[in-house]
Amino acid sequence: MSTIAAHYFDGRRALRHPVTLVPAGGRIKIVGREVNAEFESSRVRVSTRIAATPRWIFLPGGGACVSDDNDAIDRLVRERPMQRVVHRMEARPAFAALAVLLVAALFWAIVDYGLPYAAARVAEHIPVEAEDVLGREALAGMDQFGLAPSGLPEERRAALAAKLEALAALAPDAPAYRLEFRAAPIIGANAFALPSGIVVLTDELVALAQTDEEILAVLAHELGHVRHRHIMRRLLEGSAVALLVAGVTGDVAAATSLAAAAPTLVLQSKFSRDNEREADAYAFSLMRRAGIGPQHFAAVLARMEAQAPRGPMLPTFLSSHPATEERKALSGSQ
Amino acid sequence: MSASVQAEAASVTAERVVRPGFHGSAAEYFRIWIVNLLFTLLTLGIYSAWAKVRKFRYLYGNTRLDGDSFNYFASARAILKGRILAVVVFFVYAIVTELVPDSIWAFLAAGIALLPLILVRALRFNARNSAWRGLRFDFPARVREALPMYLGMPLLVVVTLGLAFPWFMARHKQFVISHHAFGTSPLGCAIPVGKVYGIYFRAGLIIAGMSVVAVLGAMVVSPVAVLVPRAGWLAFLLPVLAIYIAYAFAYAYLQARLTNLAWDSTYGAGVRFSSTLGAIDLAGLYISNLLAILFTLGLAVPWAVVRTLRYRLENFAMLVSEETVHEAAPGLVNIGAAGQELGEIFNVDFGV
Repeated sequence: MSTIAAHYFDGRRALRHPVTLVPAGGRIKIVGREVNAEFESSRVRVSTRIAATPRWIFLPGGGACVSDDNDAIDRLVRERPMQRVVHRMEARPAFAALAVLLVAALFWAIVDYGLPYAAARVAEHIPVEAEDVLGREALAGMDQFGLAPSGLPEERRAALAAKLEALAALAPDAPAYRLEFRAAPIIGANAFALPSGIVVLTDELVALAQTDEEILAVLAHELGHVRHRHIMRRLLEGSAVALLVAGVTGDVAAATSLAAAAPTLVLQSKFSRDNEREADAYAFSLMRRAGIGPQHFAAVLARMEAQAPRGPMLPTFLSSHPATEERKALSGSQ
Repeated sequence: MSASVQAEAASVTAERVVRPGFHGSAAEYFRIWIVNLLFTLLTLGIYSAWAKVRKFRYLYGNTRLDGDSFNYFASARAILKGRILAVVVFFVYAIVTELVPDSIWAFLAAGIALLPLILVRALRFNARNSAWRGLRFDFPARVREALPMYLGMPLLVVVTLGLAFPWFMARHKQFVISHHAFGTSPLGCAIPVGKVYGIYFRAGLIIAGMSVVAVLGAMVVSPVAVLVPRAGWLAFLLPVLAIYIAYAFAYAYLQARLTNLAWDSTYGAGVRFSSTLGAIDLAGLYISNLLAILFTLGLAVPWAVVRTLRYRLENFAMLVSEETVHEAAPGLVNIGAAGQELGEIFNVDFGV
């Protein structure tokens, strides 16, 4: 076997000694001007091969040799199979290209299936009561900015609440919820699900709806959010996405905080759109049980969109809701 | 002490200038990065500890100073243990602070109380797992020494409404550098606080000046939003972008000047250091890295890592006035990686 040019360090002083490694029958001789030692090959530990990075041969007693001659060292000590495989993959441009495709596919699978699935399973095990503080604070916050006490007559509110109760009773898996009526001069006609199962219905939506079926359709959609624990799932998904993005971009320091924030934003708006679709589906199934036609949902959505204040147009990939066109088409197909 | 050593170093005319260099390539690092990312995703993150060791070993091993490469030999198992703890803490923190917003104060208090411990453990982990010429670095600072630094000084920063912050940063960098050692050879560091105040003052001017430009620019483009509603989001985005660029410049300026000042104030046995990072170079590097990473959906990360490392190494120099043979500190034992991983996940700036 051929000899290997290396440098020897005794591990006690930072002094480099040029040496030659001579492999001979299960032993390694280290020969240099100031160094002359011999070790059994089985007692030395060799660092794994990574591209052309210099390899270290750690000797018993604290000394070490370092050499650029990776091929010769591979002949000296056989690496563990796993390490060899990783190195060979890293060495081939073709495999790198394949890895790009596989990483993209895996990333998509994790974001599209893995994370939402895991978040849904974990959310099931977190009691709804955990959201109580958050729900209370969210409603109090909105009451302070934007919401006002409802101006609807007591009987009207009771009637709507009773209708929603009857609708929810039709579903075997209806969640516990609490309906709140509010006037919303700024937000306008809308309904939203808050943490801990609070569903807020605005007076403006009651006024905008032409039938109670339309109101029930929107409320059924909000019940879908409550039933599927979308708020808890978003919290879980948000943290997981932050970790995932940090896992990819983490090696670039603080300079890329924006680079980390942008994909997080895109991914979270994707989760949000998925949640809206899931809530839509829940609403349609609930309405079917109650014999309410899906066209009521489409009609009220269209009217809500028409009277909504025009904000800056966001591209679809940043929007938190699916395009209304898509939802109308979906309600038509139900 | 520092002044006399520096004067002594300056009086020696024949200083040998030693510059580190990176001998790897972005293409090679890309292949390592993508293969290890693939294994990390396949194992749902478990392999990330091994991936980290491989990537660090590549970057360290291809960095040469005075003819010899560095070596990184952290144990992947130790990193994995630390990472699992850090991820659990991160999830608990993220979820609980969302559900009970007031709990942020409890986490903040715990974080501040633990900061000295996390910092010392993280720096020690990194130092002890880094070696040059077969000799390990070390960070022998005691947590006890870090306590007044990282509990007392932040309090002072709060009490003075931030006025003491540059002073704190000077002391922080000084603490971190001066507690590092190569073998038994310690580093010394004395950062002039006045200069740090000057740097922060100028960074503040940069932010203020460029923010004014950004706001004026926004006033010019905002009519566009009215005229062309479809492009409305652009009018919203442009000023935000301008402020981000201002922030990037100020950040790069701080990084460059503070790093230069810290290394220029550092000395060791027979050696001093020099750093010549440029604020505009660094800002250009950050912004182009950011754009490249965004437009390649992350694939440019390894390229960004290599060119940033290369730039930083090119602008670093060791000035040797007296050839010294450094000796090993006996009995360095390996420590856990929990501090290091916690610091990474919560973005603690260990800073140099």
